[in-house]
Amino acid sequence: MFDLHFRHNRRNFLRVGGLTSLGLGLPGLLQSQADADTKSRRAKSVILVYLGGGLSHHDSFDTKPDAIAEIRGKYQPIKSNVSGLMVSELLPMMSRAMDKVCLHRGGSHNNDHHETATNWVMSGRFGSAFGDWPAMGAVAAHESGFPGTLPPYVAVPRNPSFTWELGKSAFLGGRYESFKAGDPNQKGFRVRDMSQSEPINEVRSRRRQSLLQAVDGLARRIEGNDQLTAYGQFQRRATEMVLSGEARDAFAIDKERDKLRDRYGRTTFGQSCLLARRLVERGVTFVTVNSGGWDHHSKIWDGLERMLPDFDQGFSALVEDMHQRGLLDDTLVVAMGEFGRTPKINKDAGRDHWAPAASLLFTGAGVKPGRVIGATDKDGSQVTDSPIRPADVAYTVLRSLGINPRKQLRTPDGRPVEILDEGEVIEALYG
Amino acid sequence: MMISDNATSLFVLACSCGVVSPNLDYKDHAITTNRSPTSASGQHLMNLRSQFCHVVWFVAIVLVSATNGAAAESLPSFNNDVIPVLTRFGCNTGTCHGKLAGQNGFRLSLRGYAPDLDFETISREARGRRINLASPENSLLIRKATGRVPHGGGQRFEAGSVAERVLVDWIAAGAHGATNDEPRPRRIEVEPTAATLPIGASQPLRVTAVYDNGQRRDVTWLTQFASSDSGMLDVSDIGRVKALRNGEAVVRATFHGQVEIATVTIPYDATTDSQWYAARNNAIDDHVFAKLASLRIEPSHLCDDATFMRRAHLDAIGTLPTPVEVQTFLADGRADKRSRVVDELLKRPEFIDFWALQLGDLLQNRKERDHDVRGSKGVRSMHQWLRQQLAAGRSWRDIARAVLLAEGPCDQNPAVGYYIVTVGEKSAEQSEVADSVAQAFLGTRIGCARCHNHPLEKYTQDDFYHFAGFFSRVALDRKKPEEAATQLVVGTRHVLNLRRQIVQQQQKLVELKAVGGDSKLIDEATKRVADLEKQIDAARNSTVEIRQPRTGQNLQPRPLDRATLEIATGEDPRIPLVRWMTDPSNEYFSGAMVNRLWRHFLGVGLVEPVDDLRATNPPSNRELWKMLNREFVTSDYDLRHMMRLIMNSRIYQLSSETRPANSRDNRFYSHFYARRLPAEVLLDAICAATGEPEEFAGYPLGVRAIQIPDPTTDSYFLTLFGRSERTTACACERSGDVTLPQLLHLQNGDGMVQKLKSPTGRLTKLLAKQPDNGRVIEQLYLSTLSRPPTDEERDVITGLLQDGDRDESLQDVFWALLNSKEFAFQH
Repeated sequence: MFDLHFRHNRRNFLRVGGLTSLGLGLPGLLQSQADADTKSRRAKSVILVYLGGGLSHHDSFDTKPDAIAEIRGKYQPIKSNVSGLMVSELLPMMSRAMDKVCLHRGGSHNNDHHETATNWVMSGRFGSAFGDWPAMGAVAAHESGFPGTLPPYVAVPRNPSFTWELGKSAFLGGRYESFKAGDPNQKGFRVRDMSQSEPINEVRSRRRQSLLQAVDGLARRIEGNDQLTAYGQFQRRATEMVLSGEARDAFAIDKERDKLRDRYGRTTFGQSCLLARRLVERGVTFVTVNSGGWDHHSKIWDGLERMLPDFDQGFSALVEDMHQRGLLDDTLVVAMGEFGRTPKINKDAGRDHWAPAASLLFTGAGVKPGRVIGATDKDGSQVTDSPIRPADVAYTVLRSLGINPRKQLRTPDGRPVEILDEGEVIEALYG
Repeated sequence: MMISDNATSLFVLACSCGVVSPNLDYKDHAITTNRSPTSASGQHLMNLRSQFCHVVWFVAIVLVSATNGAAAESLPSFNNDVIPVLTRFGCNTGTCHGKLAGQNGFRLSLRGYAPDLDFETISREARGRRINLASPENSLLIRKATGRVPHGGGQRFEAGSVAERVLVDWIAAGAHGATNDEPRPRRIEVEPTAATLPIGASQPLRVTAVYDNGQRRDVTWLTQFASSDSGMLDVSDIGRVKALRNGEAVVRATFHGQVEIATVTIPYDATTDSQWYAARNNAIDDHVFAKLASLRIEPSHLCDDATFMRRAHLDAIGTLPTPVEVQTFLADGRADKRSRVVDELLKRPEFIDFWALQLGDLLQNRKERDHDVRGSKGVRSMHQWLRQQLAAGRSWRDIARAVLLAEGPCDQNPAVGYYIVTVGEKSAEQSEVADSVAQAFLGTRIGCARCHNHPLEKYTQDDFYHFAGFFSRVALDRKKPEEAATQLVVGTRHVLNLRRQIVQQQQKLVELKAVGGDSKLIDEATKRVADLEKQIDAARNSTVEIRQPRTGQNLQPRPLDRATLEIATGEDPRIPLVRWMTDPSNEYFSGAMVNRLWRHFLGVGLVEPVDDLRATNPPSNRELWKMLNREFVTSDYDLRHMMRLIMNSRIYQLSSETRPANSRDNRFYSHFYARRLPAEVLLDAICAATGEPEEFAGYPLGVRAIQIPDPTTDSYFLTLFGRSERTTACACERSGDVTLPQLLHLQNGDGMVQKLKSPTGRLTKLLAKQPDNGRVIEQLYLSTLSRPPTDEERDVITGLLQDGDRDESLQDVFWALLNSKEFAFQH
């Protein structure tokens, strides 16, 4: 179905080109001909809530009350507002928001190494642990460019990181890396380097720009140097960001009502979700909300009881708030980690890495909410219905942004590579 | 055996089509390797094929084989004809059926690296429906490729084309797999190998394959061509090159795993002036100017003294010259003052700091990823070891040898750290060590060949594992650092295991003897020890080999040029490897370092990417390349000698300012290529200019960024500006990218603001003791841009500072200087 769009694009290009003189350019034509279904799936922005380390699906969205104790775990399932759908008792607020999300219990792959799997699920392409492939957000930035004052790809508070930073732009280069917002739950939060601790006045600011012009003659005597050109461009953009109210306003989380901030939870996770909403509202293409620390190899109950309530509160608030504001019409929200966790509780009262099964949440941009897709076996060990792979998730995300996931990019050494070499749209999400 | 299986299956498939009746002849034929049409069984086959096919094939042979082609005497061969056709028409590329996941259920090996698998796939998979022996033209393979049925990849070749005939005839002949006695391509030849063309002109290339039986065959139509710079030089599918833009580019021709290049020079239109190339300092200038002359590119002028002083300091010691050093140098009237500075710099203590950092990047000196057994302490001790090597002036060959042959406990031999990081918890041959050694020491990327044949080079998957085999006797006895030092033992992991068992048995013996234990038990343990020792001996003396995971074959260590190396019984295979690597004739070893050094000083490698040396990626100036390698080898791999040679050349001292005629050149060194300073150097420069050191957690105040041994040392600035994380040996680990957050940080960062205004910093002190604004501005210029301001700059700045608070005004000048491109760039 989605292919139609591209076939049209490719094959009718010449004909379409001929119409521009009639005032109907390619974008307009595509829009007018796009089928209604596709249009409703179109996202202007994406929020990826990343649960780094791997959330235990058994103890959250795929409870196994009938399994033996070592598998079942500690928590009871509770009813949600979707009939027949139970979630863990640690998710009371999500249980009342399940009608606004689509739960997918079929996440599945075969790599249980944090770095490798994270780079895989964040890019949709399997590669080494070092991040051979650009993360979805970097691809989105690369394809959308820098349309406004705000950077197109923002990570809140920062990128996922275990031994080293993940979800990077790989061969696309540094300019498509995520812009790191920092922790919006910090008192007096301000984005690093975007405003000065001692702001300078307008007059001085103008003088500085004039002085910079005066002392920087070198670049004018050198032509054809891309790095110097990029430096100049980002120099101007940085100045704009600091001076324009727009960028500062986007990150000004203290402008949100206290009551709403409380609803999201005064936690790093909760406020990160809230900031993500502010950013997509103002046109940022891709926001990663990164929540690490789900790698509960030991004492998993302590860990989950500490972390799941934050998630429960923040994510349910995000979904409800976005819903109320109508932002879900054109924002795709995805929550996932790099894998699930082992069915059997280990000797340290923890669960280990488990790639074959995981739960994901999707909402917005045409996703039909209030449903469960996919299933695992009685132990939550293997996906028995509708498995989805990292490439499918990435395909769905990129496609919703109007990016052709099969588009060929070129690496700096000249190798043509597709953004994704496999995967397909997860049709079931759209009902 | 495999062939027999295939034949049986084809046979069954054919039967199911109801055309071919069971016939022993047919089956027998497939098993034999003899495909001559005159053989008895072949005769039967001939009957299966239409006379038409036969004629067309004959014509095709005449058409495509100008000389006596490899395939000419026999029927189309799967290996020599079918695979090249599939490769040439892009069926098995990484974006189509050649990708790991295949495409729409049809998976071929990438560019045909595994013909046996491809044969299986084409002939057996999908219930054999891809091949129709009864009606070859209607095989799915043919219908898809010719676009007769919908095909995601579109039409690959036309119905009736030679390509189609090859496939059809192969199917008609029974669709057989490869046999062992077929000729294999040895090499290809491209004609012409070099050409000079004006813009707009074309030139056809001709490619001839030479087979191991001496046959030659024109394979131009089966060759894939690629241009190193498609904006400069276009090359068509049939090998016709067209000059588009001035410069020099290379066409890579690939046929059946063999690669060769042709170089095309497209000179500028300028009328050259011999005066342009007259002034020279050394042999480097001879070669670079010869190249520029052949391209008719005008070089930029010699840079001024202040620029040279700053440039030489930043490149050689990663440190800005002080204002006093600059002024002294400017006042020096001696003719040889530049080369004096070079000599002095190479003796400075900062030289050790800066080059230990470079080598630390190259040798990935960092904490291990998952379960680090060395800790910061280990990283620091290896850093210290590198410093000692540099201070002692050891040659690159000796440093490399010491690292590559390292063994023993890592606290006694810090160089073992290289293996701790690259081998980690894996067995050496499954780890990254082979990739890392090839990239760091030979400047060669063989990582792709781990999974499939190298796309741009002749390296096969076998080559990779042959090479990895040299490390199959490296075993790490990993211990938690608080317990004992991890050590590198020469032997397999099996040997390591046996050794552990010996230790256990010996302990048991001691205990038994101490308590006067059962003599039977003592005998048993003694016997066990002797037995284990025997096993270790046997293991040590066994043939060194490594399993190629795809084919299951055991391969013996073999270097990348496929030379035969003798490994003595029981010898550490790394020893012959290092002998091969450091042989004076091994241009990969010398070239890898020469290219890194050249790039360090000139900004662009003679080969780019800097660690991607291969026949198909030639240096941009071959004569210069040869000369530099010769110099490096004859100087006994002396790093400082090469640096001196480079820095004293006129080429290194050209201005970065462009002339209209050379601004588009970015490969031939017509001007100095300006580039952003590396993270550590930039941070140190900011500290030096402002007079305020940066604090690094865990280090005493005053330790400079270029002195930090451990890349995991927390620093927002260094991460932001792309220091190497050292997770791989790739030079791309260090990033020179320019990003938005970098500029935000330089303009507004708290650290920057604090340094600029610090009460103990340069500006505050200057303001206090120097009432003359002109003098202050001059000092600020000297401390940031390492030069006095020009008169024009002085005037403009003075004009801008007419009103306002003095402190604030001069702070703003300082801010502007620190934010200027001239400050942040090496130029």
